[in-house]
Amino acid sequence: MVCFLGPDIMALQTSESEELLFSSNQAYRQGRFQEAIDGYGRLIRSGHKDGNLYYNLGNAYFRKDQLGLAILNYERARLLIPGDADLNFNLSYALDKTQDAVSESQDLVNMTFFWLKDLDLGKLLWGFAVLNFLLWTTLLIRLFFKFEWTYYVCLISIILWIIAGASFGLKWYELNTDNRAVILEQEVNILAGPDIRDTVLFKLHAGTIVHYERSEDGWSLISLPDKKRGWVKAGAVEPVMIDCKPVFTAG
Amino acid sequence: MLISCPAGADVSISMRLDREEATIADSISMVVSIAGARESDTLPVFKNIEDFDITQGGTSSRFEVINGKVNSGIDYTFFLQPQKTGTFEIGPVEVTVDGKTYRSNTTTLKVVKQPESSGADRGPLFLTAGLSSTKVYVEEQSIYTLKLYHQTRVSNISLDLPEIEHLTFRQLGKPVEYHGFYNGRSYDVVEVRYALLPSEEGICGIEPSRMKMTVAQPGRRSHRGFFDDPFFSFSTGRTMAVASEPLELNVLPLPGKGKPSDFSGLVGSFKINSKLEPNTIKAGESVTLTVLVNGRGNVNRIPDLKWPEPDHIKVYADEPVLKVKEDAKGLSGSKTMKWALVPEKEGRYKIPSLSLSFFDTETHQYREIETSRLCISVLPGEVKQVQASPDHSNGQKIEGHAKKAVKELGHDILPIHTSIKDLGKGSIIRPGGLILWSFFLGPFFIYAVVFLGLKLGKKSDRSLATLTAKKAAKEFIRKCRRDGLSSSDLTLYFRDYFNERFGLSLGSLTSEEAAEILKSEGADLDTARKILAILKGLENAVYTGKGQKACDLGEDASQLVRQIEKEIR
Repeated sequence: MVCFLGPDIMALQTSESEELLFSSNQAYRQGRFQEAIDGYGRLIRSGHKDGNLYYNLGNAYFRKDQLGLAILNYERARLLIPGDADLNFNLSYALDKTQDAVSESQDLVNMTFFWLKDLDLGKLLWGFAVLNFLLWTTLLIRLFFKFEWTYYVCLISIILWIIAGASFGLKWYELNTDNRAVILEQEVNILAGPDIRDTVLFKLHAGTIVHYERSEDGWSLISLPDKKRGWVKAGAVEPVMIDCKPVFTAG
Repeated sequence: MLISCPAGADVSISMRLDREEATIADSISMVVSIAGARESDTLPVFKNIEDFDITQGGTSSRFEVINGKVNSGIDYTFFLQPQKTGTFEIGPVEVTVDGKTYRSNTTTLKVVKQPESSGADRGPLFLTAGLSSTKVYVEEQSIYTLKLYHQTRVSNISLDLPEIEHLTFRQLGKPVEYHGFYNGRSYDVVEVRYALLPSEEGICGIEPSRMKMTVAQPGRRSHRGFFDDPFFSFSTGRTMAVASEPLELNVLPLPGKGKPSDFSGLVGSFKINSKLEPNTIKAGESVTLTVLVNGRGNVNRIPDLKWPEPDHIKVYADEPVLKVKEDAKGLSGSKTMKWALVPEKEGRYKIPSLSLSFFDTETHQYREIETSRLCISVLPGEVKQVQASPDHSNGQKIEGHAKKAVKELGHDILPIHTSIKDLGKGSIIRPGGLILWSFFLGPFFIYAVVFLGLKLGKKSDRSLATLTAKKAAKEFIRKCRRDGLSSSDLTLYFRDYFNERFGLSLGSLTSEEAAEILKSEGADLDTARKILAILKGLENAVYTGKGQKACDLGEDASQLVRQIEKEIR
């Protein structure tokens, strides 16, 4: 059963957090996956929004055969540590196990800025900052040395600065408009309206990534890349965005 | 050009018949092929051929060079005339080449009685159909044979098979052509065979098959003309269609009694064999267990055998390989399954047997076949890290071995991350960090300060020069207003003005120098000319001894300096 535990943000001391992480890791290794899930979840709710914790949580759910929750937490981890090789391997493996063939088409922006999927916002910001430093330094040098080479260095710096700025901006936009959500239940009916008596349009299975549009009276409107749309019970789907409340199972 | 056959080329001999079943009246063509030699020491010698009359049909030799490789051979053709009915194993044939005797394969021929004459003459062209068995079980194959008998030349043959639900036709090899008899008349025969695989029980009616062809019409002209040549047969042929007789196939259900729980639907006749290579290894090395299931029947139903993992042995399964063969007798084939076994400890391990169930079409009952029990002896030894693959028999590195693609033996997720840094602080992106902002704003501020400093510095230099110029002009004009101004005084005042105004330290100032200075500072040429004229006048007055006399050029000189100040800023 899926339930929302609510915003019970607990301020854990650093030593307590480390102890909890250690015991959760131990529980995972010894096959006590529910205990590991509880521990990682508690750490996340206490404010440690770390990609590695989401990754570990995803692993624990995977071991418990909860594919939807595993993919949800892997996707959340990917928002924070997109370049992590282990994470990408496990996510790919988990997605292979899903039943529905739903593929996201690549747009021109994503193909042009292909590095965005492997870099997190922090790295892009730092890259932009370093190039910003380089740009103003070269402009400063050009104030005193108006040689040809300083001109070209300035030109290259400006181009790199624009690319880095655009990359950062796009990533920021992507993260703030990410409306992806994951189907959590083994099989759900997608209905024509927010009522149990409405026509069943199609079925989706655990782990399928959909686009979340809005919620009404305990129902969520979702859509697929091929323009299929429909309503699903709110508990059966969960948005990927990290600032949403984390979901944990009671048992 | 003579090309000799390479010495030591591999010689092989094979024998084939043009059909597997014939009537006692038929003449069966047999070809003995010798590959790798252009001649033989003796003619072929036949074994088990007592029940046939044999006549030689001719000899042909083959010679070809493909990609620099020479292939040569001889084909001996013989005709067999059976003397009695029955099933005969013909061969082998022995041939001596370069003093060495080679043996061919054997082949089976079934000779049946000539069909009773129906009395009705079926004409020069007709199609017959027959079933090897009219009563079969579900999934058991029956051979459907179509024979086109023709006494005239036919070409462009096409065949329409009946479409029957729950019955699959599968062609067995290429059509064969031979010479035969029907109702005592001689015909050329085209024979094509299909395996029929029924998937549901019941009486299954097989509608007639239809063959369409172009039949040559040699009798159209009284004598053979130029266009009767086969090359121009398109102009003399007539399209005809013939149909076979309808047949009926009785498909029996597989008996429910005695059906094994692991029955996969396999029907036919099958064998199972297993081998273990090597039998003795050191701990940590791997052995390959190979299980081969082969036989005749619906081989695609051979299941992938499951292997119970014994204790202390790691098992890595290879992808099973299914081979399906189609010959005149139907479908046959084999499935090879391999496992790499890696015992963890020394000792003697018993490998449990693997079993397979199928419905035997010969005994009409279910059968279970199983592999023999095998053992591995594992000796103590250095544990090596092995590449567990069934193809690498014992994990030892073989020098010069061709590399193979890495085969995935299992799938799983990667482990959890235990070394999570900055757990106390969290790792959310903090755009407000001091270092980050100093990277963003620091260089900009430094640039702005330096830029402004440079701009301001330039401006202050210009202001100072302006002030000095104003001061010098003001002083000059004030001096020029004095009473009793002489030419010498005015000359000195001009020198002082130029020195102060332009930062010079001239002891004397000539008219040409003054004009040049003004030009170089950007004054108009007219102004330069005026100063040249005034100073020349003053120089004349001084050098002609009138220097101390009163001069009336004071006002003009003041006007000129004002003009200079306007022009030079």
